[in-house]
Amino acid sequence: MISYDECVSEIQTLLAQSHAGGSIVPPESDLIDELGLASLDVMELIEALEDRFDVAFPINELGDVRTIADLAKRIQTLT
Amino acid sequence: MSLLQKLDAARDFQDQLGQLGVNAIGATIDVTGSATEGKIEGKRVILAGTNNYLGLTFDPACIEAAAQAVRTHGTGTTGSRLANGTYAGHAALERELSVFLGTRSAIAFTTGYVANVGAISTLAGPGDVIMLDADSHASIYEGAKLSGAEIYRFRHNDPADLDKRLRRLGDRCARTLVIVESLYSMLGDVAPLDQFCEVVKRHGAFLLLDDAHSFGIMGETGRGLAEALGIEDEIDFVTGTFSKSLGSVGGFFASRKHDVAPLRSQIRAYMFTASSTPSVIASTRAALKRVAQGQALRSQLWRNCQRVHEGLTSLGFKLGAAPSPVIASLMDSPQQAAAAWQVLLDAGVYVNLVVPPGAPKNLSLLRCSLSAAHTDEQVEQIIEGYAAVAQRLFDQPRAAATAYG
Ligand SMILES: Cc1ncc(COP(=O)(O)O)c(C=O)c1O
Repeated sequence: MISYDECVSEIQTLLAQSHAGGSIVPPESDLIDELGLASLDVMELIEALEDRFDVAFPINELGDVRTIADLAKRIQTLT
Repeated sequence: MSLLQKLDAARDFQDQLGQLGVNAIGATIDVTGSATEGKIEGKRVILAGTNNYLGLTFDPACIEAAAQAVRTHGTGTTGSRLANGTYAGHAALERELSVFLGTRSAIAFTTGYVANVGAISTLAGPGDVIMLDADSHASIYEGAKLSGAEIYRFRHNDPADLDKRLRRLGDRCARTLVIVESLYSMLGDVAPLDQFCEVVKRHGAFLLLDDAHSFGIMGETGRGLAEALGIEDEIDFVTGTFSKSLGSVGGFFASRKHDVAPLRSQIRAYMFTASSTPSVIASTRAALKRVAQGQALRSQLWRNCQRVHEGLTSLGFKLGAAPSPVIASLMDSPQQAAAAWQVLLDAGVYVNLVVPPGAPKNLSLLRCSLSAAHTDEQVEQIIEGYAAVAQRLFDQPRAAATAYG
């Protein structure tokens, strides 16, 4: 199982490339309300994480994910 | 937060669409006497955005069958299939569908949307897995959600991505329903169905094909993409609609491999909604006969597709896929798409304006859907309409006459 920190850092890196204008945002950041991701962007982020960690993330759980920390915790349990 | 905030959000969205300056979404169409002509805002237009692929909405035999049925059996069944809503016609349609498709059984539904919701939510349940193409129709997503199964998406039309995701599931593949469509309704692209079949089989999962758009128009006898590829026996379940090539309304669920008939007493979307009116059933049965002997209609349709695809390509439009009855032009922005839609309407051509979030991948599209009933003159006029768009919107306008002449 990968560490929570590793997972957060991977998400932060992906977001820095796509949405945060290169900067690293804190784990409590709300993906939609604060970072302004559209639901399609969240899906794409998750697809990238699935490939990075070779896990499968069910879309039923999309609604439970609000922050980077939420996502990292859930991805971590899937590995 | 009030419940009514949703109304506010919906109104904001409507306003946003309104800012495009066109009345494209939900425009009222006045259709009289023809599958390919109508009036919008008082103006005569060629209908090139209707999914009426074979033009059967005005087929004399279909109309006559419907008219006779309404006189004999009345305007509605006033009941669900399991109560008082199964007439001889409903049962006959299901038999005829089974014979036509070569399936063990077939269940008819009130719409294609309801067929997907009912079939998918009943086939899969809690503990099962549904793997769906990312660009799946809303009714597939809805059925999947309602099933209580775990849902995963794979990249649109990407068998390698499906393969990777099924591998991650391991032994849960035996409890997995994979769902794909045939011809995708927005871009007109066709699924690599044979490759999907191979992947699904190798992992021991099950495949459901929503054949809404290729039913009636592909394959030697119109049984769709799977017939064209010679792989009908490989597909576990098929759903479809009567609202495209058959020109009526309704849907079906069928299988060559498994007997789906017992699910009648399980599918809530079948049990707890009124059955189709007798006239709809009658015209659908007549249309099914036309489809089975519809080689000439299909040839005409595909000729039209080829010509429009060539015409738009040489006008400089970027198109969504190879020639098919759905020809989507990719536009640069919702605003440009809306302006183009209006130019087409002014030129007497109605197509569908598709803008985010209704379009896959946030694209803005002009979606033209062709019919076997479009005459050569109408096809010319459709291309001329696009030529007017090209002239207004593109840097290097070309004369339509030389572009496709
Ligand atoms: C792929 C697909 N499936 C299902 C449906 C639903 O069909 P119906 O119009 O019969 O509800 C449609 C059409 O809207 C469709 O495009």
